Amino acid sequence: MVIEVLFNEVCNLYGDGQNVTYLQATLPQAEFIFTALTDEPYFLCNTPDMIYIGSMSESTQRRVIEKLLPYKSRILELIDQNVPILATGNAGEIFCKRINYVTEKIMVEALNLFDINVETDLFDRFNGKVLGSLDDLTIVGFRSQFSFLYGDNSNQYFVKCMRGVGINRSSNLEGLRKNNLICTQILGPILPLNPLFCEYFIGLTGISATAAFKESAMAAYKQRIKEFNDPKVPF
Amino acid sequence: MKKIRFYIALYAAKLSQFLLKILGRNATYFPGKIAIRLCKDFLKHITPPKTVIAVTGTNGKTTVSNLISSILTENGYSITNNSFGSNVQAGIISALIEDTTLCGKPKKDIAILEVDERSSLLIYPQMAPDYLVCNNIMRDSLKRNAHTEFISYIINSALPASTKLILNADDIIAATLGPNNKQKTYFGLDAEKPEANTPQHIRDIVYCPSCGALLESEYVRYNHIGRHYCPNCDFQSPTPDYLITNIDRTNNTFTIRHDSDSETYTLINDNIVNVYNFGAVIALLHEIGLSYEQISKGFSQSKIVKTRFETIQSGNTNITMLMAKGQNPIACARCYDYVARSQVENKGLVIIVDDLDDNINNSESTCWLYDCDYTALKDPSIKQIIFGGPRCKDHVLRAQLAGVDAEKISICENATKAAGMIDLTKCQNVFVLHELYRAADAKAAKEMLISMGRGEL
Repeated sequence: MVIEVLFNEVCNLYGDGQNVTYLQATLPQAEFIFTALTDEPYFLCNTPDMIYIGSMSESTQRRVIEKLLPYKSRILELIDQNVPILATGNAGEIFCKRINYVTEKIMVEALNLFDINVETDLFDRFNGKVLGSLDDLTIVGFRSQFSFLYGDNSNQYFVKCMRGVGINRSSNLEGLRKNNLICTQILGPILPLNPLFCEYFIGLTGISATAAFKESAMAAYKQRIKEFNDPKVPF
Repeated sequence: MKKIRFYIALYAAKLSQFLLKILGRNATYFPGKIAIRLCKDFLKHITPPKTVIAVTGTNGKTTVSNLISSILTENGYSITNNSFGSNVQAGIISALIEDTTLCGKPKKDIAILEVDERSSLLIYPQMAPDYLVCNNIMRDSLKRNAHTEFISYIINSALPASTKLILNADDIIAATLGPNNKQKTYFGLDAEKPEANTPQHIRDIVYCPSCGALLESEYVRYNHIGRHYCPNCDFQSPTPDYLITNIDRTNNTFTIRHDSDSETYTLINDNIVNVYNFGAVIALLHEIGLSYEQISKGFSQSKIVKTRFETIQSGNTNITMLMAKGQNPIACARCYDYVARSQVENKGLVIIVDDLDDNINNSESTCWLYDCDYTALKDPSIKQIIFGGPRCKDHVLRAQLAGVDAEKISICENATKAAGMIDLTKCQNVFVLHELYRAADAKAAKEMLISMGRGEL
């Protein structure tokens, strides 16, 4: 099994980098290919079993878009082949139509895999939580972001929020999904925080695995679900 | 001529300060809040002391500003500072109002203002500091501070070009602050250079901000602290004007070189993050005109405040209380590293770093735990680890992911009782790492360990 981690040296904010460590602990036999921003992506000439990309700064996001734009058709092929791709935090925004960096007064055309636009305002930091459902799985997570997404994701969302907001403050549908490309604005350690989702995501490759340190992970996960269901806990 | 609104705000704030003090309440934030409510640009109108020194950056602000204040006071200067209050706009205004006459004139010579980085835009455009000290810019509370590029952007957007900057040459992010500021002085640390460039858990600058090439490093101490250069252009860590050349842990001294002088000072604390703090203090004090003798005298009589670092002996147990800021992954990781490197064996750790406010009728974001490097906790000298507080289960998972042996970990959801789980027959050196606002839990842990050390529990 080959897992490609894109630009981990810069796309690792908010603890996102540890999703990779958790995958490594869960899949000790897997080969991890770390593609740097200055490298040619492995996926260009090969088909990895899984791809991961994490949160980044706004200037890095513009550089990542510039880097990936020439490979758009290959990325579409991978999506059509159902390769699981997970993009956390603001990484998924690179697959949207365009990003308006309001504070810096910059508009960038992104990969346009979703008919969704992004507004990024450095003076509007949103902090929140997500308690959502993905089929019969409960997903918990944290949000801290400068950006919201605008457009119709009603047929292509990641989770339906029971509590917390979706792609923007008036949506309850969080994230974007196209086949096995999952983009979520949940940031940080989504996989260790959701061991069952970690197993689900690995399962999309056709392999079944037990999440690492599952006993400890489940104990923390169950406590968080309980807390997130408590009406006193603000979202 | 000052606006009438300013004087109304000043008198109202002073009255509130007076009343709060009579009531025995803390008057270090609310008076400033009143002043801002009545006069939005209050800071612009208040006459500051002759010299204004701002201290900012992710870690070390309080230690640096406290040391500067105490050394200046020791040398007969009169000081306004916000060391007992808040480091946001209202706290800074409260401190200035306290030391301002009813005519709006300053009573003191120098203002030492610890400034929260996020508050830069509300402060510097209204009151330009003469000096700004910045020790480092690192990952901090992700909810407020996002990432280092954002913090640099905020500070640079607010910083007047006239301010003289005192910057850490070994923090290449802090060192590049103030592109329009002509006057810059750098300090750095040459002693105890690491032999190898070990991979860092997180590093917030990887590519050259000038040309985008991959930066190369002479060495890295931790995270991005070290010496870096771009192989493709002339971007590099600046040369320090004040260079710490030696740390003598046996005699508790350190040596700093500037121009052709070599000066030796008392090493108040041997944690490397504090050595950088001392470099910042000495550079600033020299730049404002103090002599070696003046600084040295002050240093020898200074201490790190007990709320941040304290050692206690109780029976055969050595107890070290260390403040380890919650939600701040680097500060916390440096504390873990300090414990691991401490030259004693049989260590026990009580870790109480959950955010107090975020756990009252809430569920704290634990993302920061994954930015924090837990690998130091694997050190074989650490025999037992107790995670105390509501997020203890998250800490266990995080520690296991870092390779810490689960056998030596215990949890206690009630942080107040966590220290009671330490086995003193195994651990003669107990370190309590506590969050800034968990003073009550830290006190309970200290008292419990002192009693246990005496054999009373």
